[in-house]
Amino acid sequence: MDDAPVVELIDVSKVYQMKAGDVYALNHVNFSVKRGEFVAIMGPSGSGKSTLMNMIECLDVPTSGTIKINGVSTTDMTDDELTEYRLNTIGFIFQKFNLISLLTAYENVEYPLILKYGQRDHSERVKKLLTMVGFTEDRMQHTPYELSGGQQQRVSIARALANDPTFLLCDEPTGNLDSKMSTQIMEILSDLHKQGRTLVMVTHNPETAEYADRVIIIRDGEIVGEE
Amino acid sequence: MIIALALRNLKLNKFRTILSMIGIVIGVFAICSMGMVSAGFTDELDNMISDTADTLTLSPLGEKVVGGATAVGFSEKDVRNIELATKSVTKEYSLIPYYTTYKPVTIGKEMGTVSVYGLESNDMGPLVTLVSGTWPKGGTNVIVGEQFAEDNDLRIGSRISFLGVNGQEITCRVVGLMENTGMLTFGISTDNSVLGTTEWYSSIVGNNHGLYNNIIIKAADPTKLAAIDEAIDKKMNGKPDKDSDDTVSILNSYELMDIFDEMMNMSSIFTTIISAISLLVAAVAITNVMLMSVKERTREVGILRSIGTYRSQILQMFLYEAGLIGLIGSIIGAIISLIIAPIFMIIMGLTFSAVFSISVLLYIPLGIAVGLVVCLASGLYPAWKAANLNPVEAMSTD
Repeated sequence: MDDAPVVELIDVSKVYQMKAGDVYALNHVNFSVKRGEFVAIMGPSGSGKSTLMNMIECLDVPTSGTIKINGVSTTDMTDDELTEYRLNTIGFIFQKFNLISLLTAYENVEYPLILKYGQRDHSERVKKLLTMVGFTEDRMQHTPYELSGGQQQRVSIARALANDPTFLLCDEPTGNLDSKMSTQIMEILSDLHKQGRTLVMVTHNPETAEYADRVIIIRDGEIVGEE
Repeated sequence: MIIALALRNLKLNKFRTILSMIGIVIGVFAICSMGMVSAGFTDELDNMISDTADTLTLSPLGEKVVGGATAVGFSEKDVRNIELATKSVTKEYSLIPYYTTYKPVTIGKEMGTVSVYGLESNDMGPLVTLVSGTWPKGGTNVIVGEQFAEDNDLRIGSRISFLGVNGQEITCRVVGLMENTGMLTFGISTDNSVLGTTEWYSSIVGNNHGLYNNIIIKAADPTKLAAIDEAIDKKMNGKPDKDSDDTVSILNSYELMDIFDEMMNMSSIFTTIISAISLLVAAVAITNVMLMSVKERTREVGILRSIGTYRSQILQMFLYEAGLIGLIGSIIGAIISLIIAPIFMIIMGLTFSAVFSISVLLYIPLGIAVGLVVCLASGLYPAWKAANLNPVEAMSTD
């Protein structure tokens, strides 16, 4: 099982039935991501990146084809099983950070730990993760509204790492940041990759894609190239 | 953490939370207070019925011409006939004719009105309980109700004055205190009363042309009451199918209980309708607030789902919110009831023990439970809706 690709898409299609006819958001897509790889999926708006992302996230199901995470097909999983996968296997980093506004930075990182291990003292791990992404302790009790975009994305990365996931899934992680902050965030992601983490990143920014080992180009729902 | 999220959302929207809570406060207040008042009166009447289960109260019907004047009451002949009817059923009974009216009274410099009763000395014992002092044997000695004594700062040896039949002031001496019977009672309510001998009564009120105002019959065996009732009715009230020739109205505790039960049932239906309307309004308000909350937090639900929160946990989060509104609102409603309902019941003349009896206080947890269940039921659909949101669509909501 360890040799199996972390993510594997086999002939995956997603079809939306519209009045004007079927629209292929993904058209017979095949690719895999090995353990320890940093793969970027790049393409313009409307190319099918987000749909592909939702499939890998286990938030959406393909019309046909198979998606395997750690060698296990997610096709026939129940909602609870898919949720468990998201909790334990995947760490998400979003373009809009997607922190929970009612919780502090500390609690946002603590939240997945509580979901997985229950209510107990997670302070050591939470502080370690937040420090690792360059987040200072004096801001840990701040809510997302009191943080800059870069700080929010750091918290988001710490939250993604909380349950030590098999891979990190990054959706335009620098899309809402200025260039200086973008570089800092990409440096953090690059460091994580160097530590052996598997990363899958969706982006339309070539500069960001340069950090990846491999870049998969997607257009009109089809993989059109690999660099 | 799920509870913390629910709590923080309620705090964040304090004003909206309070508004939605008001409905449930009113609903629970309606259930608790009306239930408590109803139970209090029922308890009090139950006690009274058990205390007077051996009693028939007779009131006169129709006017009599006595010495050229008309008056209402029982003549000596009526008393003899009623006694004969009673004797035909049982030999063990007490038949107590008495005089009664309301009369202005002066206590020191204060004036008021009090119920006055005139009885034969040997009839007092079976009818009222003396808690201190002695029975009035004659002259201007009287006994008063404990409540009346307390309200007017009277004790044994105190003096009270009435205006006599000839216009002269008659000063009476309190020689004993009667146990309170409460305002809801058969025959003699001692709470605001002065009781003396028939001679004393004649001196301050007159003797009603020799006609007694009421008669109380107590049977040693309460099971004989129905038969006594029937015998008196047969002897005194002429033809059974004709009411106009009746001379006696007979009230027994069970008939009163039936009347009261009917009243309480009507009141209970009314209470239920009022409470149901209040709770329905509250339920609609809470459902509305919860639906708004789900709509506002759609994106948050999407995020929570995407990072591994189960549907059941989303459901729980919104149910906690509805439950917290319900619990806090219900507790406030119950506390308000616990303050207002007893005050109302005491003003209405219920005793302290009836006001705080278990059957009355049971309405507090009952009201809280109903409020909580209504809120949870109101929150169920919005919570279900939130739990079943599509995470992808939810996250794309701004």
